[in-house]
Amino acid sequence: MTTTNISPSKFLAQDNVYLPHIAVIEKIIDETPNIRTFHFNFNDRKLQKEFSFESGQFGEYSVFGIGEAPFCISSSPTRRDHLEFTAQRVGRVTNALHRLGVGAEIGFRGPYGNSFPLDFLQGKNLVFIGGGIGLAPLRSLIWNVIDNRSKYKNIALIYGARTPADLCFKYDLDTWGKNKTVNMVVTVDKGDQNWTGRVGVVPKILEEAAPSAKNAVAIVCGPPIMIRFTFPVLTKLGFAPEQMLTTLEKRMKCGIGKCGRCNIGNIYVCRDGPVFSYAQIKNFVSSEY
Amino acid sequence: MASKKVNKKDVLKLLNQWRQQFAVFVPSRESGVATMARWEGKDTGFLDWYRNTVIPPKANFLPPMEEMFRFQKDKAGYRIELPPSDGGKQLIFGIRPCDARAMKILDMTFEEDYEDPYYLSRRNSAVLVGLGCNNPGDSCFCTSLGISPAESNDVDLMLTDIGDEFLVEPISATGKELIARSSGLKGANKADEARAKEAKETAYNKVTRKIDTNGITDKLLACFDDEKFWEKVAAKCISCGICTLLCPTCYCFDINDELVRQEGTRFRSLDSCAFPVYTKMPMENPRAEKWKRVRNKVCHKYAFYPMNFDVIACTGCGRCIRLCPVNWDITQTLESVPTKTKVGK
Amino acid sequence: MEQRLRNEARALLEQNKVDWIIGFEPGSLKFTTTPLITKDRNDAERLVINPFIANNLANFLIGIKGRVGIVVKGCDSRSIVSLIQDNKVARGDVVILGVSCTGVIDLSKIEKLAGKDRGELNDIIREGDKVIIKVNDQKKVVPANQVLFDHCLACELPTPREYDLLLGEPTPPLANPIAQEKIKELKQMVPEQRWGFWEKELSRCIRCYACRNVCPACFCQRCFVEETEPQWVFPAPRWQDNLIFQIIRNIHVAGRCTDCGECERACPVNIPLRSLTREMYDIVGELFQFKAGMDKDTPPLMTHYEEKEAEDFFR
Repeated sequence: MTTTNISPSKFLAQDNVYLPHIAVIEKIIDETPNIRTFHFNFNDRKLQKEFSFESGQFGEYSVFGIGEAPFCISSSPTRRDHLEFTAQRVGRVTNALHRLGVGAEIGFRGPYGNSFPLDFLQGKNLVFIGGGIGLAPLRSLIWNVIDNRSKYKNIALIYGARTPADLCFKYDLDTWGKNKTVNMVVTVDKGDQNWTGRVGVVPKILEEAAPSAKNAVAIVCGPPIMIRFTFPVLTKLGFAPEQMLTTLEKRMKCGIGKCGRCNIGNIYVCRDGPVFSYAQIKNFVSSEY
Repeated sequence: MASKKVNKKDVLKLLNQWRQQFAVFVPSRESGVATMARWEGKDTGFLDWYRNTVIPPKANFLPPMEEMFRFQKDKAGYRIELPPSDGGKQLIFGIRPCDARAMKILDMTFEEDYEDPYYLSRRNSAVLVGLGCNNPGDSCFCTSLGISPAESNDVDLMLTDIGDEFLVEPISATGKELIARSSGLKGANKADEARAKEAKETAYNKVTRKIDTNGITDKLLACFDDEKFWEKVAAKCISCGICTLLCPTCYCFDINDELVRQEGTRFRSLDSCAFPVYTKMPMENPRAEKWKRVRNKVCHKYAFYPMNFDVIACTGCGRCIRLCPVNWDITQTLESVPTKTKVGK
Repeated sequence: MEQRLRNEARALLEQNKVDWIIGFEPGSLKFTTTPLITKDRNDAERLVINPFIANNLANFLIGIKGRVGIVVKGCDSRSIVSLIQDNKVARGDVVILGVSCTGVIDLSKIEKLAGKDRGELNDIIREGDKVIIKVNDQKKVVPANQVLFDHCLACELPTPREYDLLLGEPTPPLANPIAQEKIKELKQMVPEQRWGFWEKELSRCIRCYACRNVCPACFCQRCFVEETEPQWVFPAPRWQDNLIFQIIRNIHVAGRCTDCGECERACPVNIPLRSLTREMYDIVGELFQFKAGMDKDTPPLMTHYEEKEAEDFFR
């Protein structure tokens, strides 16, 4: 199985691959105290109409004068009246992003990277496993799948965060929870006085839920430590390495495989990923990840 | 087109002609540091002392710092502008075969998939006039990488020192065209070509530092997880950026913005995988340990780049060995890589 | 002297008195040595002492785990003492193998005098106050003080004061005024000239940070220059930003710099960094009558408060 490789982005500004398009922030949602989702649209109306991307791809977002940072496109290609990305406030660029208000202009380059292999996922049972902000790339795919529901078999989602306040996309969790064709479990590592849901780390909840590996694909996104403990559980449940997908995160700058930063052995996460199967990861030169 | 020759005393006239069309770069020395700098038009004294430059010719195409674009905010919002192009075509006189090969190696990265407009616009309009070495240095090991110190197919013109004259061989179509347009060149005869052949062989044999690159990629991958080996290899490295910043085939770069009130510039600048912060993310750093960074550098050049492009990303120019403050020597490291079958992870 | 060192180093490892030996071994280029950092007693035979032992090995004490037997010259031993003063190294964790130093030869000075590249020289021999350069059958004899490093010429402590073993006879300091020539020239310039001088020099800087990384006094886990929130210095090599980096680094090491000269030696583009560091060193000496690394029991300058401080806002 190979993950889909999209040919290089055709959406170049002034024919220069490093130049961002100007976009405007239309809406800001506070997911958690330090995570925000930004809804944006391009100033260029023609680009807005023609722009396309696949779930799993990312963009390079600029706060002019501060810098550029990569974030996945967290909205789905099936819902195109605007685009979305989600960012946690951790450093220079993200702090600057969080200081922006509705109407502020940002830069966007992309879409870059490969995407979730929809052909491979079609006709299969999908088990989405997410942790914290890791739900952002999954979300693009989940809506994509729900909007093309008949192409896929069972959908299960196991999502967790450290505390209830750290759960992202609560509005989506509400909607998916009410969707009879989606089997969802939301958990937290540590509850609070109002929490009535499951308590336990995601790998543990996954083990208890024990989804069947038959004709199934698991798509895992979350903090590295969660992923490290999730793969063995999936293996125990009978998932072969080709049946486990994830997105890797590495420090990226150019997003197009030139600046050298995001390499794992001879592959570049920005160009050959960020979507990889566990089979591919096991074959990586390095156990760096 | 047959080879020509030019008297060393006439190189001045040749450069003056080329200066009409090109920004001519020649070896220059400031405070004892040799670089390729804009030719003043005065003399060709550099022919007396020139061995190789400290700053490699990649600086002419991937500068230590360059403007990518400027942005400005007014009432209508942000506007992005490309920096004014200097429009000049560069002619680099005296580039060594190792450095010329390095340019070809860099081209592979900057042409692949997305074309890098900044690098390619400079590169595609530039003319490289190569100069074969008479006297390779003691840190040179180009011959181990399939490169000859005195021959090159990676330049437009190739000069060989044959005494009072240089043999001038056209290599590329651009080179042929340049010769056709230039005056002051004489035809070379069989004796000249024989002298050149001898000079090339002599230079080749003067390169005494050698490494065996047979199967080096597989050897490196097999011992990739050998932490003890890499810790020993990395022990004296101080994680500065000298080897990578001055390497003619290293290209890692950083992108940074600068803002002054409502306008600013996005710059690209050279970076180094040797720095601890190179791969640092907010939550983790995959190469926090020095041995991992040293391992990555060696493997990028002798394993990963060959896996992607079929060529070792090193041309044996020897700058890293010569300029390293602790005399860390990549040839010693490569010779010490153990031969083993890969142990499963 | 070399064999005594080798025996001592081997014994230290064999008797488990140290975990590591750090010293010099022959480099991969002529007239070069390179640091030897080893746990293996058999490696002790590789240790050398010669006129080319340039590195300040005290730099490697930061981040190494365990007890270390370390070979140091006078200047380097001061760096160890300075690290002890800063509480970064415990005296009991190091066995100081002191070498009484008569100065390290600067190959670039030799190359200039001989008019040849180091690879073309056959031998360089130090004999007392002379240095003999041999090329084929020809010999050139030059006074040693024309080819030693500037910081060696300015050396105030060639023989380590703090040591566990001393190799070589105690040597008097060279304290040769030639060493201060560059600084004197700079001081005679008017501010605009000096500014122009540093603009020219620092335009060559490639921000390799070798100057910082060879310095034993620079041991911060995270250097100010790598900070992004806030970004104190622009990360790209613009001469103004390069200058700011040098100025701040000098202020940060003031009172702990021992003028070992490594920063200038390490710079691949020959920026005269010592002109900054030595001047800072002299200012510290003048203002506070303090020289770093002279006495391990003296508290470090910048973290210590004396009742009789010079500035009256302290009283």
